[in-house]
Amino acid sequence: MTKRFLLVVFAFALVVAACTSSDDTTTTTAGAASTTTTTTEAPAAATTTTAAEAVAVCPSEAGGGTVVIGTTDAIASLDTADAYAVRDWEVLKNFGEPLLKWVPGAADELQLGIAESMPVASEDGLTWTVTLRDGLLFGDGTPVTAQIVASQLTRLLTISETGPNQVGLTLGNPYVDSIEAVDDRTVQFNLPAPIAFFQQLLASASYIPANPAIFPEGELNIFPEPPLTGTGPWIVTEIVPEESMTLEPNPNYYGDQPNLDRVIVRQFADPQSMALAVQSGEIDVAWRILGAELATELGEVDGLNSVVVPSGPIRYLIINHVLEPTNDPNVRKAIASVIDRDELSDVIFGGAVDPLFSQVPPGFLGANEAFEDLYGSPDLDAARAFLEASGYSEDNKLQLPVWYPPEHYGATTADGVLLIVQQLEATGMIDVSVQAQEWGTYVGAATSGEDYAVSVLGWFFDFPDPENYLQPFIENGGIGTMVTAKEDGSITPGVSPELLTLLTASRLETDLDARAAILDELQKVYADEVVTVPLWIEPEFIVYRDGICGDASLPNPQTLNIGGTMEFVYSVLNTDGS
Amino acid sequence: MPDPVLLDAPPEEQWQIDLERVGLLRRLLNGRKWYGVDWWMVVISSIMVVFFIVIAFFPGLLAPHDPLEQVGPRFLPPGDKPDAEVLLLRVDSPIESLADLAGQGRVPTAVVQGAPSSEDIRSEAERITQELAATGSDDRIRFRILRLETLEEVLAAIQAGDVELGAGSSQQLEPLMDAYPDVVIAGPISGEKGGKTFLLGTNQIGQDVLSRLSWGARIALIIGFTASIFSLVLGVPLGLFAGFTGGKIDRGLTLVMDSLYAFPGLILAIAIAAVLGPSIVNVIVAIAVLYIPTYYRIVRGQTLSTKESLHVEAATSIGATKTSILRRYIFPLVIPSVAIIFSVNIADAILTGAALSFLGLGLPPTTPDWGIDLARGQEFIQRAWWLITFPGIAVMLVVLAFTMLGEGLTEIFNPKLRKQ
Amino acid sequence: MHPLLLTFLIFGIPAVIGLAYVFVRGSPGLRSYIVTRIALTIPMILILATVVFLVMRIIPGDPIDSALGPKGTAEIKERFAEQHGLNDPLAVQYGRFVVDIFTLDFGNSLVQSQRPIVDELGERLPATLEMVIPATLLALGLGIFLGTRAGVRRKSATDYGSRIFSVMIYAMPIFWLGLLFQLIFGVWLGWTPIAGRIDPQIPLERTTNLLVVDAIITGNWVALRSVLSHLVLPTLTLGLVLSGVFLRLTRINIIETGQEDYVAAARARGIDRGTITRKYSLKNAMIPVITLIGLQVAILLAGAVLTETVFAWPGMGRYLIQRILARDFIAVQSVIIFFALFVAVISLAVDIVYSLLDPRVRY
Repeated sequence: MTKRFLLVVFAFALVVAACTSSDDTTTTTAGAASTTTTTTEAPAAATTTTAAEAVAVCPSEAGGGTVVIGTTDAIASLDTADAYAVRDWEVLKNFGEPLLKWVPGAADELQLGIAESMPVASEDGLTWTVTLRDGLLFGDGTPVTAQIVASQLTRLLTISETGPNQVGLTLGNPYVDSIEAVDDRTVQFNLPAPIAFFQQLLASASYIPANPAIFPEGELNIFPEPPLTGTGPWIVTEIVPEESMTLEPNPNYYGDQPNLDRVIVRQFADPQSMALAVQSGEIDVAWRILGAELATELGEVDGLNSVVVPSGPIRYLIINHVLEPTNDPNVRKAIASVIDRDELSDVIFGGAVDPLFSQVPPGFLGANEAFEDLYGSPDLDAARAFLEASGYSEDNKLQLPVWYPPEHYGATTADGVLLIVQQLEATGMIDVSVQAQEWGTYVGAATSGEDYAVSVLGWFFDFPDPENYLQPFIENGGIGTMVTAKEDGSITPGVSPELLTLLTASRLETDLDARAAILDELQKVYADEVVTVPLWIEPEFIVYRDGICGDASLPNPQTLNIGGTMEFVYSVLNTDGS
Repeated sequence: MPDPVLLDAPPEEQWQIDLERVGLLRRLLNGRKWYGVDWWMVVISSIMVVFFIVIAFFPGLLAPHDPLEQVGPRFLPPGDKPDAEVLLLRVDSPIESLADLAGQGRVPTAVVQGAPSSEDIRSEAERITQELAATGSDDRIRFRILRLETLEEVLAAIQAGDVELGAGSSQQLEPLMDAYPDVVIAGPISGEKGGKTFLLGTNQIGQDVLSRLSWGARIALIIGFTASIFSLVLGVPLGLFAGFTGGKIDRGLTLVMDSLYAFPGLILAIAIAAVLGPSIVNVIVAIAVLYIPTYYRIVRGQTLSTKESLHVEAATSIGATKTSILRRYIFPLVIPSVAIIFSVNIADAILTGAALSFLGLGLPPTTPDWGIDLARGQEFIQRAWWLITFPGIAVMLVVLAFTMLGEGLTEIFNPKLRKQ
Repeated sequence: MHPLLLTFLIFGIPAVIGLAYVFVRGSPGLRSYIVTRIALTIPMILILATVVFLVMRIIPGDPIDSALGPKGTAEIKERFAEQHGLNDPLAVQYGRFVVDIFTLDFGNSLVQSQRPIVDELGERLPATLEMVIPATLLALGLGIFLGTRAGVRRKSATDYGSRIFSVMIYAMPIFWLGLLFQLIFGVWLGWTPIAGRIDPQIPLERTTNLLVVDAIITGNWVALRSVLSHLVLPTLTLGLVLSGVFLRLTRINIIETGQEDYVAAARARGIDRGTITRKYSLKNAMIPVITLIGLQVAILLAGAVLTETVFAWPGMGRYLIQRILARDFIAVQSVIIFFALFVAVISLAVDIVYSLLDPRVRY
């Protein structure tokens, strides 16, 4: 059975909010943390029985042994100063640990990692200091000092740019000027400008101090030879490229030892073979990326649990604000008025994906439903009115090219685009030409903002903050939206400069309520400008065999404690000993 | 089809002389006597080929629906009738039918995830909204849809008042209703898509499988024929020419062909698709290029060894011209191989097209194509057997038809084989 | 020792011995032919390499785009291109590429781990060989066996049965067959594993990356068992599909040679049918079949791409597709050169055997 417990409860929260008072929406969804609390403490919900079944209970003493996890993601880079992919970060966070870390299973609740106490900001917000735990060791027994942490984290700022992913340019240099050791246990971060989300940033994989014995100061080591040791609870003992990776507990880890003796991660070419493997018992857990359909099928198999993870990448339409015909605000608004997200969800994913009504997904600070409030789509009459205002009619149809990548996001993309085209053409005033382009070519054309007026893309956060869902589409030319002109960052004529003002304000505001209010306003302007058209949240599923369980004392044990941050923490895993 | 060149070959036995005398129609009808099982093979496969060609020209003959339109519920098994969907309400609800919801904003509504209820309820609401619009009202019916795991959860949600209404299938509801006394069935949701059955079922987005198969025949045959003819027209003359002339030209051509040949075909197709973008023309070009060297190498090899055979040497010594040697001795001997390759070629072009689609390349995925349907159906292999079965069978039948036709014709027209 | 080098030694030494034997024992004509053929292989590979080099530069898109998607900024792309010399004039890049080929140092991959290409190929080439070789043997064995029987007993049940088999098996999309096998043998019956090369829980020291060889060298019978059971389905899929073609050709040629004068003469002399088949028909019928092996190499590799994809087999085909999509110019060029070499060597071997078998052909 597919357990959709979390989404259900979340939807209830929305329903309750809608029923009680429409003004109340902001507070209900204000912080992701509050949502988490609701989900974990809502036994009264109609799905209690389902939820109880979902939590596989492992006896506290029994267990251990080996768990084999399947994935379809390849390893791309294992150097913290370069890695920039979900699977890579998952591995990094299991054999390494940053200063702060997310509570497994929670949406965005931070706890201490290798730091002894929460980081402290200076008055002006430009310096942050963190103290390390006493007696920290890397997995190979080398002590972890503040000097090592500072110099290893500095790699992100200095040598990251020599790597293929150059993650430093995204997560390092824009936010941090320099990192230094104050004494043996204190590290200081110097920032160019105060930011509201510095602690979230510190919990990302890029801020894991890597072992200098493997990752030397002056150069990247993207594909290091095992054993890989670090600050985390595991040691990577074996890597067979494209096939498997073995992890064993790190005896020098400061915290509790993992329950398991060994974790093996096996890589599959495609979701089908992974699905068959979990069915035949070759693997115990199938994690990333199973489609909604496969996960539903597997949920019906005896002995398997298929659970949706409360997070996932979003899909949206890039609308180019410079090219014809989408440089016309009426055209953009017509597109926004036409999209029927419920139909997309029902037809393409059998209702397994959640419609998305703002670029910031629900659960994040300040997330609202700006597109729903503004356009109430599908509203064909409104769409026709917008089109008529710009002189289009049934005889003079709007010619709209829509581009999509046929293979990259899976075959559902084509189904979705086909449906969107039918929705657009239902106005009788739009003539869509659908164009498929293979990913390698597509993505450059879509993001450069020079070729495609309307195109489909996906997005998943680098760090869980609304900033990461808004800034990339607004600043620096946007991702193909061209809302701001590329070089000088000036706003494209016809677009409200308020976008940039609000974005900057939201970044600097550290008071949560005030920031939520700014973000709410920002999303409204965003929807009014139709910077992008959010479509849906693609669900991620985890499928595991009976006898595998997570930590029942943490949130979301039914997903093996994978929460809103989508992190899979292997040390919470246990077996029932069978 | 008999090649006229073959009929030039000197008749040797009485039955062949008889064959020469009778008309084409008689020859076809009486062929069974002379050729036996191979005649049947040719006849059956010809019928199949003709059938597929007719379908390719007039897909509408078999296809009751638009192959791209969503015409029914998702994953409806072949021949099954979908369950009737009904509207569920609380006993004390002020609402009586969907029409009462007009202008009420987004009404919380519970449905079972993946069931057709949500679709039906929205299409019904859309219909009512349009009726209202005709009377001058601009009120709309809107839902906030809550997708739940089971029908029990839907009923519980209505019972608890968490949602205003719900929907579900009447058959499945029947045994459950007693447990939820506060919930009543308010009546059927007619929904324009309800009640239809589909001969070969529907796919993952509610398209009719049979309609997609019919339209897919067109794509498959276009790819197969165009690509094969293109490579035959280029490959055979090149092979004959190179094999017959020999020398530097032969060596140069062979070098180029070998180089081309060394490039694994599928990869070349992928590269071409990447350069030009996914489209049917690019697939045809890619596949055609793959097969030129195949014709070339076989034809050249045979020409080479025939050229040195005794009777060619004899013919040369009595002063036969090059053209007549080529025409009378070499070309007829090359025909069987070419026939095999051509039949294999059409079949293979169709298979290669399917392979490209399987890898997610080649044709735009919105095309109604067997390869794409197979690739998509693969995801649902255990859940909806009909999605992978029927396109798979379609590919097999077309490929079979062409291969069998080739086989049968080879048996019949190969001058060596018919010497019994 | 590097696994790639080891693989070359394992397959190269017998090939060189064979070539040397043919060279010494063959006629002067054959000798000069072999020399010419080897000399011709070099320009052939260069032509192909040049085509690939140009094609990869014509394809729009770059590695950063493919890897980072919407997250690759113009700044990142520019810096990357600068570092990897992708901004240099084409001629300079081409020169570097040719030098790389001749020094057998293919450089580093542009995406993912940026590991040396030679290391990456060292893992994938043996994987492909390990699947392709048994599949070809299966196809040949089955094809020639059934083809001979069908050809000798023409118009018998065996004949029609074999022909129907060959046509049916040929008509099946290879990935569909693979998938059905996975479902039937892997899931329903549970006889074989469904994907991968070896159970990851079994430790195996890898020296050649030909896992069968590695398991035998180290005497690790548990691993050998696992490797062999993983080999069953991919081999069966690829081998069965290819066997259809061999069957057809063997059959046709057996029938044709059966009508040759020398066979009729032998029959007139009262030599029994089996001997005729073995001594006369089969040998002559094999000539076109052997040509076909050469022709099948590229088809085999294409089939391998699909089989590898279905069975999550980490071989060259899957690698190549991944890298074309990722726009890893360097990796794609190198893989193509390897494929070209492979095909060139096979076609050379086929031509030599062909000329040995068919004395009518002289070069």
